[in-house]
Amino acid sequence: MLAFLNPYHDLSFGAFIIQFFIRFWMLITGQLRLDQLVSDEIQIAVLICVAASSALVGTFLVLRKMTMLANSLSHTILIGIVLAYLFTSHSDATGSHDEFVPLTAMLIASLAMGFVTTFLTEFLTKTGGLQEDASTGLVFTSLFALGVILVTLLTRNAHIGLEAVMGNADALHIDDLQMIFWILIANSTIFVLFFKEFKMTTFDPGLSLALGFSTVFFNYLLMAQVSATVIGSFRAVGVLLVLSFITGPVLTARLLTDSLKVMLIYAVGIGTFVSLVGVALTRHLLTVYGMTLSTSGVVVCVIVALYTSLLVVQWLGHRYNNKREWGKTSRDASL
Amino acid sequence: MGWQSPFSFFTDSILRAPTIGSMLMCLAAGLVGTLIFLRKESLIGEALSHAAYPGVMLGVFFSGVLLINQYEGMTFSLLILGGAFFSSILGLWIIHLMKTKLKVKSDTALCFVLSAFFGIGLTIASQLQFSYTSLYKQAQVYLYGQAATMTDIHIAIYGLLSLVILGVLTLLYKELQVLIFDREYAEVIGIQRNWIESILFILIVLAVIIGIRSVGVVLMSAMLIAPPVAARQFTNRLPVLFFLSALFGVTSGFFGNYLSVELTRLLTWHYPSVRLALPTGPMIVVVASTICLVSLLFAPERGLLLRLYRIVVFRYRCVCENILKGIWRIDPKAPVLFQQIAKYQDVSPLYLKAVLWHLRYQGWIEDVEGGKYQLTHEGELHAANVVRLHRLWEVYLVDYVGIGPEKVHRNAEEMEHIITPALERELTLLLKNPKKDPHQQPIPSKESL
Repeated sequence: MLAFLNPYHDLSFGAFIIQFFIRFWMLITGQLRLDQLVSDEIQIAVLICVAASSALVGTFLVLRKMTMLANSLSHTILIGIVLAYLFTSHSDATGSHDEFVPLTAMLIASLAMGFVTTFLTEFLTKTGGLQEDASTGLVFTSLFALGVILVTLLTRNAHIGLEAVMGNADALHIDDLQMIFWILIANSTIFVLFFKEFKMTTFDPGLSLALGFSTVFFNYLLMAQVSATVIGSFRAVGVLLVLSFITGPVLTARLLTDSLKVMLIYAVGIGTFVSLVGVALTRHLLTVYGMTLSTSGVVVCVIVALYTSLLVVQWLGHRYNNKREWGKTSRDASL
Repeated sequence: MGWQSPFSFFTDSILRAPTIGSMLMCLAAGLVGTLIFLRKESLIGEALSHAAYPGVMLGVFFSGVLLINQYEGMTFSLLILGGAFFSSILGLWIIHLMKTKLKVKSDTALCFVLSAFFGIGLTIASQLQFSYTSLYKQAQVYLYGQAATMTDIHIAIYGLLSLVILGVLTLLYKELQVLIFDREYAEVIGIQRNWIESILFILIVLAVIIGIRSVGVVLMSAMLIAPPVAARQFTNRLPVLFFLSALFGVTSGFFGNYLSVELTRLLTWHYPSVRLALPTGPMIVVVASTICLVSLLFAPERGLLLRLYRIVVFRYRCVCENILKGIWRIDPKAPVLFQQIAKYQDVSPLYLKAVLWHLRYQGWIEDVEGGKYQLTHEGELHAANVVRLHRLWEVYLVDYVGIGPEKVHRNAEEMEHIITPALERELTLLLKNPKKDPHQQPIPSKESL
């Protein structure tokens, strides 16, 4: 019954894309209301917001060689989720787990956990004298293990734990879209406002220190943005797959350009593109082959495929150019 | 409903396999973890364990295609282990390619590979969920680990693999040692670096794929990091490091498994309605982290708390000596007012009162009526000695280091608490037992003390 209400039901890839743009046009011209959006469209919208937000923070993380921090945060945020759940849900003896955790509570808890993680890691490195990779690994695995145990004990089911790791794009709600949308807006605003500062603290920490900009402050700001992005996307793609969204588009964009601004735009564009293609592909596979694949997983596969194919294209181009160059030089040499 | 004795875990026919299995796995992880810890590549375990996930799922897929019954544990486990091995190696190779050929930074390469492989694994898993449901459910334990369902077959496989790791480590011990600590020397004496490194990476992958059964892909890296970090707190020597790391690993393997079984039993006792199995992986990791935390805090010499304690004791001694010196400089023989003492000390009056009380208790000073304090004979000697060290050091700085007399006071303020009697003798000899410091103040002579 529900399936027939979905205009994307039984569509193949091309038809899906066409249908999507038709309905997108209808939305812009006001023939379609926001609450009439169907699950596929909510998925696309959420994934695009996730991808764009991740691409923005990801660019700076990759350039600052801090992606493993994102990895840590994405793990420790589980405790934040559990705590938010604890403080907001009214415990009832049946232990039902369908209660809704307020999104703001999760946001605050995740930011707090982000600070705790970063602080502990830095503390172990600086005061404990531990090498950085070891302290990173130690902190996030311990906190994550605690988180899993807490989840199991408190909610008496391992469901939240699994969902936090795997994500569940099919259970998305319009409220999730709202949250990740505001996070995206906040992230973009911060980067537009502090673009120069971020650029400087990334490429020349010495200079920024000399000019009186605190690198520590911008590190923590970036960390807060990462936490927000991860918490905004964990329901859609899970805390692990968001790392693909953070690194994948950026690596792909890095192949195409050297300029920071262009790279940011490319990364966001690539993120948007893969989200749309990913959802369409999932629908296509369901329609044609009857395969029910996880949407977030398919999007990650598309990211990987795009990166790989671009590498292959570049490699072929490189080889072709090299041959010509080689031919030229050998001719020069013979002259 | 009491707790079972830990020993029954070795004898009980159902509990034996998970217990020994977890311990073997943690042994392998502890040994291999030491190697990657020393190479400062601790996070590679994180990437490799996640990279094993699609392999696990492919293993399930092939088991399904080959119509393997889920009760044929041996083939099922071997297929999964094989799949995990190959996808983990593939992940390692891609990381290597990205770092060398594409000039991608190490952290980004690790992060990308771990999440991309995990995503691909999830995609396969979401399909298997419907096509081979029962096998998929069995394989789901690889996410967070579940030792409880291990059987003797697993023990045989893991035991064998752990033995392989142990054997290779013993055989290649010399080469690995040289390679870790002195790469250039290793090349000079003709150690085939590439070969040894490939073997090393195969060992890491082996340890990871053994581990994911009981700890799970998400937390496997913890078992490669926590035991060596804890062990490093206690020793500087490589063999001891290996031994302690393995010991900590095995301990956490045992107690993690023990706690997970016992807590699950307790929970089922209290809430019979919910069927709940506490995953083994997180429990093992929590035990390992606890061991690590305790070592970081309390280890002799390196422990944070002991270091903190030594710092506090030293600071306190400095304050005491400064107060004694302050009184001595005002007047060594006569009672001194509290306000006079406080004028030269930059500590709060309340703290100063407390320290003065403690000094009196120790017999360095005594109370005189009218809120005055006077040095006892011992106190006077001690204060004079501090002043002597201070002024000796000033002479040394001016005469031998060539620093201007106006700049030496601050440094001497610190050194007066540090110079040992032996160093003092050397200084006296070197400076020919001076009578005056650079500011023409008399230096209390050794004989008068």
